[in-house]
Amino acid sequence: MFERTRQWIEVRLGIKEIIDSGLREFYLPRGAGFSSTLGAVALVAFLIQAISGIFLLMYYIPDTAHAFMSVRIIMNKVPYGWLFRSIHMMGSNIILAVLFLHLVVTFYRISYKKPRELTWISGAIMFFLIILFCISGSLLSWNQLSYWSTTIVTYIPTLIPGIGGRIAEFIRGGQYVSGSTLNRFFAFHVAFLPFTLVCMAAFHLFFIGRTGFSTNPGSSPEGDSEPQSVYKREINANGMPFYPDYLLKALVLVMVYLASIFFIMTFFPGLFQPELATVQADPAMTPDVIRPPWYFLAPYQIVKLIPNKFLGISAILILVFIFVFWPFIDGVNERNISKRPLLRVIFILSITVWLILTVWGGY
Amino acid sequence: MKRRKFLKTLLAFFSTATLVTIAYPAVRFLSPLKKKIESKKLVINRNEIAAGTAKNMIYQNEPIVVVHDLTAGFLAFSRVCTHLGCLVNYNGEEKRFICPCHAANFNLEGNVISGPAPKPLVRYPVLVKGENIVIG
Ligand code: FES
Repeated sequence: MFERTRQWIEVRLGIKEIIDSGLREFYLPRGAGFSSTLGAVALVAFLIQAISGIFLLMYYIPDTAHAFMSVRIIMNKVPYGWLFRSIHMMGSNIILAVLFLHLVVTFYRISYKKPRELTWISGAIMFFLIILFCISGSLLSWNQLSYWSTTIVTYIPTLIPGIGGRIAEFIRGGQYVSGSTLNRFFAFHVAFLPFTLVCMAAFHLFFIGRTGFSTNPGSSPEGDSEPQSVYKREINANGMPFYPDYLLKALVLVMVYLASIFFIMTFFPGLFQPELATVQADPAMTPDVIRPPWYFLAPYQIVKLIPNKFLGISAILILVFIFVFWPFIDGVNERNISKRPLLRVIFILSITVWLILTVWGGY
Repeated sequence: MKRRKFLKTLLAFFSTATLVTIAYPAVRFLSPLKKKIESKKLVINRNEIAAGTAKNMIYQNEPIVVVHDLTAGFLAFSRVCTHLGCLVNYNGEEKRFICPCHAANFNLEGNVISGPAPKPLVRYPVLVKGENIVIG
């Protein structure tokens, strides 16, 4: 039966040819290991977020009077509502961890070099889009934690002299975080961001398709350090086929991703949901300790450390700029990090500083 | 070859199991929540509905209409038309419920007089207790 249906479709659409020419004959460099599949894991993770998000939309009410209650109902009354909410909420945090790793690996392999600058830039933009997803999504549950951390995060633009206040007001839809902010964030979260992210992801995949996969130049005989002046796609003729080898590898990491969600869900259900997140938002009462979410702790700490507000925000904007346009800033052609001591120092230093700031910001 | 077949069967088994474990919660999640208020009754003051008029309200998540007729007294019907589900309106002059969608007409008993509706309107028991009317 299955075989006959397959045959029926095959005769009409020639799926086998697509798989053969598009996937089986799309080769990755031989050295490509699990770390090359992190992008694919992020893609699947995003799909999981999208599906669980659509499920939540069916019960969620984006209104200050009902938002908190509707999330409660999803968690306690709707059959398996806790499952989909937890997958969505935990997933939003773990997807960021996956992206961090993806970034670190890409940087370490210096994969952003010519001809892959556009791939890096589109990836960096997607990274910020996902952060915006997390910020806008967290407010939707309308609890004390999300309310006040949104207040803090949306306060950051006010540090820009002159127009800063207007920008913050624009983001909040008023002077304070209120029902208008909730509606804005909701629209942003479920309509604008998904659309933008899908477009960006399409670009990202298109760029990868055109330039071919990159790998650690140390482990690949085809690592190209000589400058290139005409379009050339890396064929990697005797490398690893995308299907099934690469996809199977990616599948293993996807399983690990899911396993970590379920692990946290089972053993540390409160990891991303401290007590404050179980109390309805109260705009009239600021809790004693309030911190932005973990991925925001480092920039938050930078702003706190630099006494001059304008300098603080400028530092962050400059860092963002350097990060996005790094492929153009790094002018050396060598793609093997072991031959670039300075870059190695920058690499280790930025990760360490980031970690220290994050931990510091948490206290 | 035998080993290959075994692995394929194993894979099919695990994939099906995974699919079922995902599909079951999804279907449960999407099925409508059961109403826990089944036995609840709706109480309104009889003065709220003048003789010869009707009032639309919601009872157990369902739109209903309560009619105060001079001869028949208080009556309550679901407003959901039995044709395709539009909401009927009460017409006091003709003493009929008329559906705006395809013009199904129901009499004061809820029975179909004309139009495409196949069944009478669902009726709810009404009890007059002093000043109050109890529906359900
Ligand atoms: S829905 Fe009422 S007449 Fe068709």
